[in-house]
Amino acid sequence: MILERLRINEAIRYLGYGNHTPDNNILKLLKDSEKELLKVIKPKYVYKIFDILEIDMNNNIVTLLGCSMKLVGKDIVNHLTGCQRVVVMACTASNEVDKLLRITQVKDMTKAVVMDSLASASVEQICDNAQEEILSEIEDYYSTWRFSCGYGDFPIESQNMFIDVLDAPKRIGLNATTSHLLVPTKSVTAVFGLSKNKLEKKRLGCESCNMKEKCNFRKKGERCEF
Amino acid sequence: MNFRELLENNEFVFLDGGMGTMLQERGLEIGGIPEELNIKNSKMIEEIHREYVEAGANILYTNTFGANRFKLENIDYSVDEIIKSAISNAKKATYGTKTLVAQDIGPIGQLLEPTGTLSFNEAYDVFKEQVIAGEDSDLIILETMTDLYELKAGLLAVKENSNKPVICTMTFEENLRTFTGCEISSMALTLEGLGADAIGLNCSLGPKELEPVVAELSRWTRLPIVIKPNAGLPDPETNMYNVTPSEFSQYMKNLVKYGVKIFGGCCGTTPDFIRETIKALSDVKHVKLSPEIPAAVCSPNKTVIINQPRIIGERINPTGKKVFKEALLKNDIDYILGQAIEQTGAGAEILDVNVGLPGIDEEKMMISAVKAIQGITDAPLQIDSTIPEVLESALRIYNGKPIVNSVNGEEKSLKAVLPLVKKYGASVVGLTLDENGIPKKAEDRFAIAKRILDRALELGIPKENVFIDCLTLTASAEQDGVMETLNALNRVKNELGLKTVLGVSNISFGLPNRELINSNFLTMAMTMGLDLPIINPNISAMAGAVRSYRLLTGSDKNSLEFIAEYGGDTPKTIAKITSKADITLDYAIENGLKNDGARITEKLLEETDSMIIVNEMLIPALDKAGDEFEKGKIFLPQLIQAASVAQACFEVIKANLAKNSAEQISKGKIILATVKGDIHDIGKNIVKVLLENYGYDVIDLGRDVDYQVVVNSAIENDVHLIGLSALMTTTLISMENTIKLIHENNIDCKIMVGGAVLTPEYAMKIGADFYAKDAKESCDIAKKVLG
Repeated sequence: MILERLRINEAIRYLGYGNHTPDNNILKLLKDSEKELLKVIKPKYVYKIFDILEIDMNNNIVTLLGCSMKLVGKDIVNHLTGCQRVVVMACTASNEVDKLLRITQVKDMTKAVVMDSLASASVEQICDNAQEEILSEIEDYYSTWRFSCGYGDFPIESQNMFIDVLDAPKRIGLNATTSHLLVPTKSVTAVFGLSKNKLEKKRLGCESCNMKEKCNFRKKGERCEF
Repeated sequence: MNFRELLENNEFVFLDGGMGTMLQERGLEIGGIPEELNIKNSKMIEEIHREYVEAGANILYTNTFGANRFKLENIDYSVDEIIKSAISNAKKATYGTKTLVAQDIGPIGQLLEPTGTLSFNEAYDVFKEQVIAGEDSDLIILETMTDLYELKAGLLAVKENSNKPVICTMTFEENLRTFTGCEISSMALTLEGLGADAIGLNCSLGPKELEPVVAELSRWTRLPIVIKPNAGLPDPETNMYNVTPSEFSQYMKNLVKYGVKIFGGCCGTTPDFIRETIKALSDVKHVKLSPEIPAAVCSPNKTVIINQPRIIGERINPTGKKVFKEALLKNDIDYILGQAIEQTGAGAEILDVNVGLPGIDEEKMMISAVKAIQGITDAPLQIDSTIPEVLESALRIYNGKPIVNSVNGEEKSLKAVLPLVKKYGASVVGLTLDENGIPKKAEDRFAIAKRILDRALELGIPKENVFIDCLTLTASAEQDGVMETLNALNRVKNELGLKTVLGVSNISFGLPNRELINSNFLTMAMTMGLDLPIINPNISAMAGAVRSYRLLTGSDKNSLEFIAEYGGDTPKTIAKITSKADITLDYAIENGLKNDGARITEKLLEETDSMIIVNEMLIPALDKAGDEFEKGKIFLPQLIQAASVAQACFEVIKANLAKNSAEQISKGKIILATVKGDIHDIGKNIVKVLLENYGYDVIDLGRDVDYQVVVNSAIENDVHLIGLSALMTTTLISMENTIKLIHENNIDCKIMVGGAVLTPEYAMKIGADFYAKDAKESCDIAKKVLG
């Protein structure tokens, strides 16, 4: 996977601009950051496909065939209901991005803030591309959207199991710390369900979100993708 | 039979194949913990080992890849129990054969600093525990490493806690780097220096794709080369690999020409792969390559070969620099990082690091400086100290192969420094002076150089790791000495065949137009054979002299480097930013004009007191930006942009105060820390920039900060406001614990907290005094608490 452009508008949104357009200084920093990031981002992803053995609605547990990881929580159970298979995936923009952000923080803090947002946007972009590539390999299945650790009541603590199941350190250089943070930091783990039948688009919405009291989008009357 | 005999008596040595693959075939779930089976199903493990013995493996890897305290945290057995039973399983399978048992040690699974949170010393302890538990094995393998730093911790742990042979293999991608960016040359230079017995590659790719990686490795090492590839690539649905045993063996045979001595298989390989490989190699001979290893130093991501003059930046050194000394006293690492970035931007390829200053703990400062600099630059470092303990501490935690500056001809120095150089596999600068001082004559300096070299060779330090500094004397005081230095340098270079170093700037001390003298002396020295000029690269004439020399001597092929530097429309080095003369400080801050801000401040200082500039111009301008941010008229990047201009203005004021030996402005001290376990520190750094611009002294403890460190720093520095940041829900508990410990120690201070997942209610619940919703509000709180 090669990224040719990054999602500057998405980064502007992360920076809290809402409908405002940044001034020329900031736009230039965004463009410069894009150029520098594109040089160091090495998109990598790894995935495995499992059959769903059981969705236990009473205890909110999804069990996968041949996999030690159980997916736990009301929200993930809802998300995967109606699916027969699951894709477990992890993506990273790579270690060099963290380093560039460290360097930029020493050189120019304004640029670092801008670049940080753009780097976060790039991971979503990598995930989107990865999901598209994965789906192009799978015939006859409809897919749900991506669901990550920390969404709704799907515990962030699952992060480390994702890493083990995907053998992510060996395969893409992605690790999780003892406090369940991913390193390199610009990385994402996620699952999406596969179903033989067409799925209705389910969005969880703000009510089941951990961030609802704090969310900057909500304060401005906007919404994220959740 | 031991490992050494195995190497001597056999054309090739064969390792086993995959363990995980065999376990999954026997029902291990994906994501399960294979090490548990050493105890729960020891018969099965023994059986798999036996299959490999029967296939012809000379060495078995124990089933202990992840047998460390992190990965075994949630199981019922200890690291010691798992490793002992694993070795016993393998020993049973080899009983009555000549097959050796190697204790297998994989990556810890936690990334080390600076990207991750695990410290070098913690990593060392994790490995040490494994090495000690594995006392019954015949040798030790460190494998599948992607981080050279982690591998160094492991290798030191092996060397210091056992006397067994050790094999190190890393995992490379097709771009000839590991995931962390480590180069093959850096791996070879570092591991050979640290005393590995064999090095090589495993995992990631199949034997076909690994050919260019093996080819590159064969140019960089004299050690036996190991290769243990995967059976191609896995299918995400079936988990099956795509290369057959017979294809595998043919690809392996093709690698013999690169001098590979030790062959095995990694993920997806089975006893059949080993059997086929042994068969395929039965009619070929080992190819002994003896590559000449060039003089070179490295960081993990960059090897600098000393095959042309390479610039060593001299600026990270407090001697004669008031602002630098001030920064050291305040533990201001960011200042040092700024110096590093400026020099590498100007053309430095290696950075000298000297942080010696009376009144500071040089050892502690050296460790944090080296770690921090390595976090932001790939340039290899030259560790510069007169204290052997400081050198050793830095050599230990340095990532790669550094230069030690320096040893000299004195017996005491030779005895103290050279063993360190040998143990850590560094290069060393030898100064041509001894008990009797610096000899006047070239021949006497040459004699000392020879003495240093001989001693180094006696200790087993390879010749290419010894660099000689024939010492520049001041031309104004000892004019005759100039040519003596250069003649000595020339003899060292030609007769001893060593690389040469010279601190250049000293030559012009006490003379006018120093730049002119320095750059001419530099060119003369390069012509006489100087390889490593230690200079200030920020002076364009100096870096320019080196670039011209490289062009004129043909090292800079087709003048590419020279044209890249000077060939643009507006050459970087002479570009001056010209701007309108009539803009105000206010305007500069509002519009992000850093250079103008600094220029205007300089001008203002001619007539205005610095306190007036701070209180009546800078702070009101910042307040205005803060207000607008609050009202949603400007956004975070602009707020920081305004603060960055103010920071540039402050730099000018600080430098001015230092020049006039006046007291620095301080409105009080504030500690900032991103709490233990959390590595997202950009929020904290934003707060830091703003607070500093309001005149507060920020003691930045960094990220992933231990509770006790916060407490200690508050006591030591008599601090009355502490700011804590946490980004993730999982690290809020650390914030709470930090606050608890601060309160338990009855420290007279207020605590403000902030971070994406915090709420005002939660902040109060965990005992904070203030909740700051953003960087602007943290400044308001600081004003309230400290004035």
